[in-house]
Amino acid sequence: MNESGTRKTLVVGAVAGLAGVIATGFVAGWERFWVNWILWFVFILTIGLGCLFIVALEHVVGARWSVPLRRVPERLSGLVILMVPAALLALIALPILYPWTNAEVLRDPVVGGKAVWLNVPFFVIRVLLCAGLWILAYVLLVRGSIRQDQAGDPRFNVRARRFAPVFMIIFGITITIVAFDWISSLEPAWYSDVFGVYIFAGTFLAGLAATTLAVLYLMARGRLPGVTPDHVYNLGGFLFAFVVFWSYIGFAQYLLMWYANMPEEVFWYKERLQGLWGALVLVLAVVHFFVPFLVLIPREAKSEPKRLVWIASAMLVAHWLDLYWMIYPVLGKGALFSWPELSFGIFFIASSFLWIRHAMTRGADMPVGDPFLREGLEFRI
Amino acid sequence: MSNRTFSVLGLFDSSKELMDAIPVVKAKVSGHLDAYTPYPIHGIEQALGLKRSPVGGMVFIMGLIGAISAMAFELWTQGVDYPVITAGKPLFSWEAFVPIMFEVTVLFACFTSGLGMLFLLNRLPFFRHPMLRSKSMPHVTRDKFALAVEAGPEGQVLDVERITAALREAGARTIEILDQPAALGPISPRFLLRTTVGIGVVCLVTGYLTYWSMKLFPVTIPMVHMLDQPRLDPQRQYSYFKDDFGMRMPVAGTVARGHMPYTIKTEDEASVLANPLPRTESVLKQGRQGFTTYCSACHGILGNGVSTLTDAYGAKPANLVADNVREYPDGRIYHVIVMGKNAMLSYAAELTEDERWAVVHHVRVLQRAMNARDTDIPKEIPR
Repeated sequence: MNESGTRKTLVVGAVAGLAGVIATGFVAGWERFWVNWILWFVFILTIGLGCLFIVALEHVVGARWSVPLRRVPERLSGLVILMVPAALLALIALPILYPWTNAEVLRDPVVGGKAVWLNVPFFVIRVLLCAGLWILAYVLLVRGSIRQDQAGDPRFNVRARRFAPVFMIIFGITITIVAFDWISSLEPAWYSDVFGVYIFAGTFLAGLAATTLAVLYLMARGRLPGVTPDHVYNLGGFLFAFVVFWSYIGFAQYLLMWYANMPEEVFWYKERLQGLWGALVLVLAVVHFFVPFLVLIPREAKSEPKRLVWIASAMLVAHWLDLYWMIYPVLGKGALFSWPELSFGIFFIASSFLWIRHAMTRGADMPVGDPFLREGLEFRI
Repeated sequence: MSNRTFSVLGLFDSSKELMDAIPVVKAKVSGHLDAYTPYPIHGIEQALGLKRSPVGGMVFIMGLIGAISAMAFELWTQGVDYPVITAGKPLFSWEAFVPIMFEVTVLFACFTSGLGMLFLLNRLPFFRHPMLRSKSMPHVTRDKFALAVEAGPEGQVLDVERITAALREAGARTIEILDQPAALGPISPRFLLRTTVGIGVVCLVTGYLTYWSMKLFPVTIPMVHMLDQPRLDPQRQYSYFKDDFGMRMPVAGTVARGHMPYTIKTEDEASVLANPLPRTESVLKQGRQGFTTYCSACHGILGNGVSTLTDAYGAKPANLVADNVREYPDGRIYHVIVMGKNAMLSYAAELTEDERWAVVHHVRVLQRAMNARDTDIPKEIPR
């Protein structure tokens, strides 16, 4: 398929998906519409945030090996910008899906105690604040990097290195807000301190998987000259490490709640371990941990494109399943997957691809103006 | 030619010269190639044709063994060998065992990678590696790069002149020939004495230092923090609760595990109870032991109500082998053991439920034995 053909397919997909999305609201009900909306918007948002985190991480630690690859997560982090209007639109879902908007529910002492945080004005302020901070980070880290392509101004590296540690703090707070506000507050009575870290683990893994897929795609088309399997090996190593990290945090959260057996904590798991949801947890354990862990153990697997493509794709699917497992049970209708879910998927994925294709027209495929590019290309294990 | 040669070393000035020399030397001579460099050089394993280290596979297998054995051991100890219900969880609570399984996996894997590398693959303790006494040693840890053709573990005979020529041609600046290490002789008394004294001194010094530091810092008594934590001991006062008792009454209707309350009031009601125990040898032995310990003092060892107590105090314990008791159902005898009768006290505290039923069996045995019939005698008396 040629370039314009791909574009046409994506546009047709997005329009058809949009039709299905709108039909969902009228046919299957607005609750299902908004649950899908939040699921897909958080999915795409976390991929983008993970990529933004990878970009900032490179500046914080002063990594050189990843400089030739940096443009890839930089472009992918544009998804965060795409998802800002989606987040603003999702505010409509507050009275429909979020029980704490109901005064009746707030009378419950547990939920009522959280009213300081869970109220609509503060929620809107937090959404706007997060969006503003992300756009700021995007402008400083990504736009600055693209601008560097022409001028090759090394002062960008200094600015980025100063801003990146600040962004780390911003990221830590905002990703926790995403986790608490959009996901965990769907069941406002639930407590979990580690939930933000859990979402962070999935986010970073999703960002890494998307970056790995895009890097392999560009390498196969010869658009990243000089990038060797040694660079890819590091991405594979990161995937391997954070597969374990995600499982560690996920299991730690479950173990403590299972042990303490407190009603305000276990009800969340009880809901998500029965029937099809319980089967889904086993699928998650296999796809999100055992398969990538065992496949990525040998040294060759971490740099071999064939295996990495499979694992990275599986990680994205697993990240979606993870979010589906956390968000969808609030609907109370079991594990549904039918045309509304499919059309939401087509709509969000096609729009994301269109957005990224647009982002690919900006700047070079590698940060050619970065003074450390040469050093990065010379990286060997 | 000499079969006493361990290796022939050629020294090079840079890593590039070394890497260039490897294919040249490889083409000329056969033998184990090895390199000694001040820092790791990328791709040198492939250039030398070294086999990949088996450490990875060893670590994986041992890690797997660690994981499986830890989980199996925990399931066995907690669920089979000494089953204890903890925090109301099921006996086979695999969730609780995962952290320890994880730790044991890491432990096995770490020990395998460390010890396996040092002792299995690098053959420690190998004190007399000829390289350690060579003139090149200071250089290859500092500024020179050595390529060695070695005899290898099978003691290949090296053609020294040919190797030297090949190394020179490849650009080696200096050549050094290393002899095989002398075979390790028997352990000398001097070595033994030194080792023993050395270990003794180390033990004394560490022992004294530990003692001294514990004296000096008495606060840091190890491992008492769990005793010091704020907690409520049994039978203590606690002002948090209105009645000032630290211990709470269990919820009404609570039953201790293995202590079902006995609610039957009369012997008639108890008559319907059936003995749940089979008449196996071990049950009958248990019954005899229970009877001898608790019942025989009054009822007599034969259960006929004749015992030492009868003579001393004039008490009249029931004759358990008499016809009226023989007609009692099992449940009625059981009821008397639990509740007592007339002057007899309850034996519920002394005998568990199973032991009481075993005693009932023994009473039946006594009744049968004390009322033997002629037909019980075997017709053919064995000679």
